[in-house]
Amino acid sequence: MIPHLVTYRQRRHDGRWLRVYVPVLPVVLLLSPLLLLAVLGGVVACLIFGVSPVGALRGAGRLLWALPGARFEIEQGRMAVLVSVR
Amino acid sequence: MNEQRRQILQMLAEGKITADEAERLIDAIEREQPESPPGSALRPKPRPKYLRVVMNSEDNVGADGPTRINVRVPLQLLRAGVRLTSLIPPQALTQVNAKLHESGVPIDLTQLKPQHIEDLIEQLDDLTVDLDDPGTKMQVFCE
Repeated sequence: MIPHLVTYRQRRHDGRWLRVYVPVLPVVLLLSPLLLLAVLGGVVACLIFGVSPVGALRGAGRLLWALPGARFEIEQGRMAVLVSVR
Repeated sequence: MNEQRRQILQMLAEGKITADEAERLIDAIEREQPESPPGSALRPKPRPKYLRVVMNSEDNVGADGPTRINVRVPLQLLRAGVRLTSLIPPQALTQVNAKLHESGVPIDLTQLKPQHIEDLIEQLDDLTVDLDDPGTKMQVFCE
């Protein structure tokens, strides 16, 4: 299952939280023309460096599919950052 | 519901602890006292899904307060990552090996097969690392 929602939270110096919710699917659809170009660029780079483009695409897909559930939380003093993928 | 779990939920309701802290406490209780309904002895242990790294440091050296790190990485993500290593071109591995030798690290990466790394990740299930230092506590485990 691909990630549905990426949550970014950051605690500001005044103690207030900045929360950013990124719905992955709409953003991917919105950026699909750019993503297509990026994929084409990646395929060309794979061919130049002798990497299998199919293997690279499959590997990238596996990484994307495995992302849900990842969570990174770092807090130091008043600063705090949280990134969560669901 | 046992007494400890009730107390944690009570503290959460009173705002003494955050939801994350409550979750961690309940996880810790479940690890200490695994529920064992009749017939569960023969049931295989559920496979862990995540690698957790938790660090709490009270040291204030060069910082403006305590440091807390809580990272949860799906094991599937680690597996997907190590599979990507099979895409590294052989000439790149040769160059990396040469640089490693120059740096005094005699590791031959061409001998490291994806299957070996996958085996390593499979065995991570049983991994638990606890580091206790005055002011700092670090835990690495699978859940």
